[in-house]
Amino acid sequence: MSTILTACGGGAPTAADLLEDIQNRGYIMVSTDPNYEPQSFLNTTGKRPADSICPSDALTPDEMQGFDVDVAVEIGKRLGVDTCFATPEWDMITAGNWADKWDISVGSMTIDFIRLEVLDFTTPYYYTPAMIAALTESGLTSVDDLSGQAVCAATSTTYEAWLSGTLQLPASQIYIQPPSNVTIVTLPTDQECAQAMAAGRKDFIAYVTSDTVIDANIAAGIPVSKVGSPVFSEFLAVAIDKAHTLPTATLLKSVDDIIIAMHADGTLSNLSIKWFGADLTQDPTK
Amino acid sequence: MDEFKKTKEMNSEARGEQLFNAQARNLRIFKLNVTISWILLLLFLVFLFSGIDISIGDAHFKTIHLDMDFIKANIGFIASGVGVTIGISLLSIVLATILALLAALGRLSKFPPIYALSTFYVSLIRGTPLYLQIFFFFLALPQLGIILPGLYAGVLALGLNYGAYMSEIFRAGLSSVGKGQREAAIALGMTPGKMMQRIVLPQALRFALPPTGNEFIAMLKDSALVSATGFVHELMWRATKVGRAQFHNLEALIIAAVFYWIMTLAFTSLQSRLETHMSRGDR
Repeated sequence: MSTILTACGGGAPTAADLLEDIQNRGYIMVSTDPNYEPQSFLNTTGKRPADSICPSDALTPDEMQGFDVDVAVEIGKRLGVDTCFATPEWDMITAGNWADKWDISVGSMTIDFIRLEVLDFTTPYYYTPAMIAALTESGLTSVDDLSGQAVCAATSTTYEAWLSGTLQLPASQIYIQPPSNVTIVTLPTDQECAQAMAAGRKDFIAYVTSDTVIDANIAAGIPVSKVGSPVFSEFLAVAIDKAHTLPTATLLKSVDDIIIAMHADGTLSNLSIKWFGADLTQDPTK
Repeated sequence: MDEFKKTKEMNSEARGEQLFNAQARNLRIFKLNVTISWILLLLFLVFLFSGIDISIGDAHFKTIHLDMDFIKANIGFIASGVGVTIGISLLSIVLATILALLAALGRLSKFPPIYALSTFYVSLIRGTPLYLQIFFFFLALPQLGIILPGLYAGVLALGLNYGAYMSEIFRAGLSSVGKGQREAAIALGMTPGKMMQRIVLPQALRFALPPTGNEFIAMLKDSALVSATGFVHELMWRATKVGRAQFHNLEALIIAAVFYWIMTLAFTSLQSRLETHMSRGDR
């Protein structure tokens, strides 16, 4: 039913494929989740330029900041178009079927086999270790200490999948198996996990997120520490919806070439050092 | 005898005035006490969020600590969503009013398909959560080739939802117009359309307008649900985004709460003036 409706609707696309469509309209619509500093967050003092060609419900690069934002703007620049940002909720991005509302996701998304069913991924643009954090005063030191306890993760994340034992990654990327008999508490984003603990809630004793998010949490004064060593490695890449009404192959190839070139010319390393203070752009399994 | 009657009358008049004055004084004292209590409750609320910890002997009382620097830095950014919130609510209430009137008229129709359409719409919308409807319009309409900007998808969902609830208000308004008036209109030779336009609707609307104001005030707060799609940058969306990214959800939400409350206070006072104005001439 849905395919029939899509075929007869769709607002008469004139371009041959998504890349041509983007070039015709002069901007690429990028989704990113502005809930994470330093990856992607709002620039609250930034103003939309008067001459911006971005749609009215999109944000301009002036109103956003972070590593993902800089990478997205650079991709737009190398495609010869402006970059605009859509800010849907994270689970809407990972679910695919974007209804043509945005073109690509530059949102630190981990490539996993389940997402590959609905999304296409480029070469990873950076890599972060997934870690567990717990209140410093809890004295937890190893992942095994979490057995039989409640642990928090954000909804539709690889962290939630890892805890539930359903994470589908190449074996070389998974370093540690999840603790046994954990109760998983899912909240809208990783930040709610950290804040719930900081506020003194006792619903769980630890949370799983990326190493970079824990660093930001600690820097913001949340009294947590990392537990043990990284549990798996996230390969973070640009994603494109497989269900787009226009062919996406040429766009995927172009963005992939741009990512490879940005690795080679040091652009990604520089941006990583600028935002994270470390170069996270090298493949940890090589 | 006459003298006596006169003094008795004067006495009862004076007593009446006395009684009246006493009542007015009691009312003034009551209002003053209410105002003082409001101020005390407000001060207690402010104290609860002051971050001051009090120890009296062994008893410790902690209050909620807020990061004032975060509030100062972000209050302007969050407040700039107030316009969008009011805008969505205004657009939605206009749509809801139109739909409610149509649904109420449909409900009075003697033509089965129209009656069915009206009751089906009201039943379907009232039988599902608003939160779900907002996602439905955001996710389902693009498959029909209708890609609305986030704002209009939100307005459509809010308007349809409130229209269904408000149709009851309009139905009550329409049935408040006495049967005799309709009969009189027909006796004067008016067509059913003319009768609606000149006799029933003007009176029904006067009855329905104050409750519509109340619905608008409720909608100001329900419009926060539209932020869930991430495409409408209103008060709630701004508060959750800066709150999460900077780890100060509580402070950000309190800023939003203050603005929602101020808006509600302002529109409630407008609403009570409207009600006073509309009830003039009522006996």
